Amino acid sequence: MKDTEVVVRVAGAAGDGVQSAGLIIAKAFSRSGLYVNTYNYYQSLIRGGQSWYQIRAAHEKVRSQGDGLDVLIALNKDGLTRHTNPMINEGGASPLEGVAIFDKEITGYEKGKATYCEMPLGEIAAKYGKNALMKNTVAIGAMAAAVGLDFSILSGVIADQFGKKGDVADQNVKAAKEGYDYYSSNFKKLGKKIQYGKTKRYLMAGGEAVGLGAVSGGLKMYVGYPMTPASSVMHYLASHTEQFGLFVKVSEDEISAINMAIGANYAGVRAMTGSSGGGFALMTEALGMSGMVEVPLVVYEAQRSGPSTGLPTKTEQGDLMQVIGASQGDYPKVVFAPRNVEEAFYMTREALNLAEKLQMPVIVMSDLYLAEHYESVENLDLNFKIDRGNFAKDNQPDFKRYQYTDSGVSSRALPGQAGLMHNEDSDEHNEYGAVVSDAETDPTLRRLSMEKRMKKINIYLKEMPPTDTYRYSDAEYAIVQWGSTQGVVEEAVDMLREKGIKAGAVEINRVYPLNPDMGKLFSGKKKIIVVENNYSGQINRFLRSEFLVKTELITKYDGESFYPGALAEELEAVIRRN
Amino acid sequence: MVTLADYKGKVKPDWCPGCGNFAQLSAIGGALTELGIEPKDSVVVSGIGCSSNMPEFINMYGFHGLHGRLLPVAEAIKWANDKLTVIGYGGDGDGFFEGTQHFYHTSKRNVDITYIVSDNQIFGLTTGQASPTTSMGMVTKTTPNGNIEKPLNPLDFALTAGATFVARAFSGDAKHLKDVIKAGIQHRGFSFIDVLSPCVTYNKLNTYDFFRKRVYHIEGNDRKDLMQAYRIAQEWGDRIPIGILYENTDKTYEDYDPILSKGPLINNPVHKLVEDDLEEFV
Ligand SMILES: Cc1ncc(C[n+]2csc(CCOP(=O)(O)OP(=O)(O)O)c2C)c(N)n1
Ligand code: SF4
Repeated sequence: MKDTEVVVRVAGAAGDGVQSAGLIIAKAFSRSGLYVNTYNYYQSLIRGGQSWYQIRAAHEKVRSQGDGLDVLIALNKDGLTRHTNPMINEGGASPLEGVAIFDKEITGYEKGKATYCEMPLGEIAAKYGKNALMKNTVAIGAMAAAVGLDFSILSGVIADQFGKKGDVADQNVKAAKEGYDYYSSNFKKLGKKIQYGKTKRYLMAGGEAVGLGAVSGGLKMYVGYPMTPASSVMHYLASHTEQFGLFVKVSEDEISAINMAIGANYAGVRAMTGSSGGGFALMTEALGMSGMVEVPLVVYEAQRSGPSTGLPTKTEQGDLMQVIGASQGDYPKVVFAPRNVEEAFYMTREALNLAEKLQMPVIVMSDLYLAEHYESVENLDLNFKIDRGNFAKDNQPDFKRYQYTDSGVSSRALPGQAGLMHNEDSDEHNEYGAVVSDAETDPTLRRLSMEKRMKKINIYLKEMPPTDTYRYSDAEYAIVQWGSTQGVVEEAVDMLREKGIKAGAVEINRVYPLNPDMGKLFSGKKKIIVVENNYSGQINRFLRSEFLVKTELITKYDGESFYPGALAEELEAVIRRN
Repeated sequence: MVTLADYKGKVKPDWCPGCGNFAQLSAIGGALTELGIEPKDSVVVSGIGCSSNMPEFINMYGFHGLHGRLLPVAEAIKWANDKLTVIGYGGDGDGFFEGTQHFYHTSKRNVDITYIVSDNQIFGLTTGQASPTTSMGMVTKTTPNGNIEKPLNPLDFALTAGATFVARAFSGDAKHLKDVIKAGIQHRGFSFIDVLSPCVTYNKLNTYDFFRKRVYHIEGNDRKDLMQAYRIAQEWGDRIPIGILYENTDKTYEDYDPILSKGPLINNPVHKLVEDDLEEFV
C-alpha cells in the first residue's frame, strides 16, 4: 500500500455505532483536504452480527476502497480477531499490519501481525457521560493521533455531528481529545507520508447525489416505497422538502408509486420514482405504459444482491436483464448506469431532461455499492438548463397528441390547457389517442404508431457521447466494465500497467441502448475481458450479441464489490491463459 | 357557458346496447355541465375494462391507464394541479380486485378526487368471469357451479377505509345518478360512488328489473353518522338503498401536506441549486 494514503476500518456489531463512527472519520479526512472513499460492510440487522466501515483517504483521487488496512478500530473482540487474523480477514483487504485500537476489556484474542494498542476506551468515556457509544469517540480521537490528523478539524466534525454546541457535543469533543492524548503519549504514530491540505470537497453517497441531481434537474415530486438500497434517495429528499419545495410521498406500494409519478408527469410536474429490484419488478407494467402513453418518467433502480429478496444489504449488478427487459412489448427506453457518485448527480438530471424531451421512460441504475458508499466530489457544476420538451399551444386546431412526426416526438398538452382535450391511452391508439384495439384493430395504424414511438430513440443515439475509455490508446487488452465498478477496474488496470501489461478500460455508463460505435473499440484487441459484479455476465451477453465479439468474463457474486488487487490478479490470470 | 354538448366525445361508445355505462357517461357530462366546470379543467382517469373505455367517449382530458391502477394516477394529477376536477372511473373488477390496495389507501388519505365505480358485479371486457361483487351462487364462466365467495361490500369497505363521501346510485335512475355524482364532485375530499350498473350481456341476474324492484332512495339519514351509514351499507336483499350514506368535512391530504397546501405543485418554482445547498456535504 502506498505511503501517501491511509486506510482506516471500524469494526463491530450492528448497534455498536460502526457507521456513525466511520462517517465522522471520513468527514474529518475530507475536511483535512484529502480525497476519501468509503466502504460499508453491514448486514440486514438492527443489532448484532458483524459489520465494518472502511475509509480510504489520500491526497490524490481515490477511486475505490483499496486493498490494505492501516488502522483498525475494533469495537468488539470479534472485530479485532477478524481483521487482524489472516485466516478470517474479510473483504479482500490484506490483514492489518498497522495499529489496532480497542478497549482493554477485550482480552484473550489471537494475535496477528498488527500493533495492538490496548486503551482504556470505556474508562475515558465514562468520565464524560453515560452513553456507552462514547467509547467510539475516544477511539476516533486515538485514530486521529495515529495518523497525525489535526485535532481541531476532528473536533469540528464531532461538534457538527452532535448538533454543533450543547453538552453532548462538548462531552464528545473532550472524550475524543483524551483519546487523542492517550494515544499520543503511549503509542507511535503510523509511518505514513500523508499531506493534509485545505481543499474543500464534498463527501457524498451515490443516493444523495441522485437526489441532489434530481433537484438540480427540476424535480418537484418523488414517490417511492422503502427498499434498500434505493431508500437513501428518498431519505435525502424527504429531509429537504421545504428547502427544495419538493413533495415526497411514500405510497402504498411500488405499483402506486410509479403510477403516481406518471400521473404527475402527465399533468406537467417533473416527478420521479425509484426502488430496488423487487420493487422495480412491481413497477414494470407501468413502465411500459409510460412508453405507450408517451409520458416522461425517470425511475431510479438500485440493485442489491438477488434473486428474490436476496441479500438486502449487499451489492450486485444483477438486474441489468430485468431493467433492459422490463415490461411487455417493444417500446423505447433509455437506461443509464452512472459510474461514480459525481456522475450519479449529472446523469440523474440528464435523465430528467431526456425523459421529457423524448416523452419516454429513462432508468437510472445504481447498485448498493454506489448508492451507499461515500466519495469525494469536487466542483459540482450546478448550472443546468432544464429542457421541458414540446408542448402544444392552447386551442391548436385539430390537435393530434400522438402526431406522426419525422422525429417521432409529438407535442404534449397538459390538462387545463384550452382546446386540446384528448385521451392518453395505454391501449394502442391512433394520432388522436383513440384506441386502435379490440374491434378497431388496424394493422396499418398499429405499424405507424409502433414506428412513431420507436423512432424517438434515434434522437438519443445521435446525441450520445462516445464511450469513455481509460489508458486505452495503446491498450492490447480491453477490460470492459459498466456502472459502479469503474474505480476498481481503473486501479486494476494501473496495477497491470505497472507489471508491463498493456491493459485499458472501456467504461459503459449508457447501458441501453449501447453506443453502436462501441464495437470499434474492440477491434484488434488481444483479449476483451468483461468484469461484472454478478454471476452470469449480463452485459457480457449483450455485448457479444450486439457486436459479435469474443469475450472472456470475470464475475463476482458474493455480495461484495470487487477489490482492485484481487481483480488485477484475476485479470492477469485471464490475460496469461491461452 | 358550458353546455352538455361540450362534453360530447368524438368517438361513439362501443358498449353493448343497453349497458349501464351509457347512463353514467351522460351523468358525468351532465354533472360537470351543471357545475359549470369546463371540459379543459376536468380529467377522467380510468383503468381497464368495458367501463374504463369511457375517457374516449367524453370530451375532457382523459387518461386510460392500467387495470386496477387508476387511483394513483388520479391522485397525482390532483397533487400536480389542484385546479383540475379529477374523476376516477372503472369497473368492480378493476377497482375491487387489482385495485383494492389503492382504493383503501386513497380513501384513507382523503385525496380530493371523485371515484365512480361501474359495479356490474361481473367482468365485462374479459367476457363474464366472477368479480369481487358477484353474488353468491351466481354461475359465471369461472364459477360454473355457482360463486362460493361472499361478495365484497364496497360501501362498507370505503367507510372503513375512511372515505369522506360514500354513496350508491343506479344506472336505471338517471337523474338521481347525476345528482349523486354532482354532490360527489362538489365534496372536498375523497368521494366514492358505487353505481349499480347492469351488464346486459354477462350478468343475467342483476338486471335493470332486478334493481328496479329493489332500490329505494335513502331519506332523512344523518350523513355524519358513521354507524348509521354502516347499517345502511349492510342492507342488500329485497330492499337496496341508493343515495348518499355518509359525508364529512375532514381535512384532505392536500390540506395536511406542508408543500401541497401551499398550492398546486405545477406552480411551484423549480429550486435552483446553490453552493449553500451543498454545505451539509462538507
Ligand atoms: C394486469 C391485467 N390483468 C388482467 C387484465 C385483463 N382484464 C381486462 S378488463 C378485466 C376485468 C374487467 O372487469 P371490470 O373491471 O369489472 O370492468 P367491466 O369490463 O365489467 O366494466 C380484466 C381482468 C388486464 N388488462 N391487465
Ligand atoms: S359486456 Fe356488459 S359491461 Fe361490457 S359493454 Fe357489454 S353490457 Fe356493458
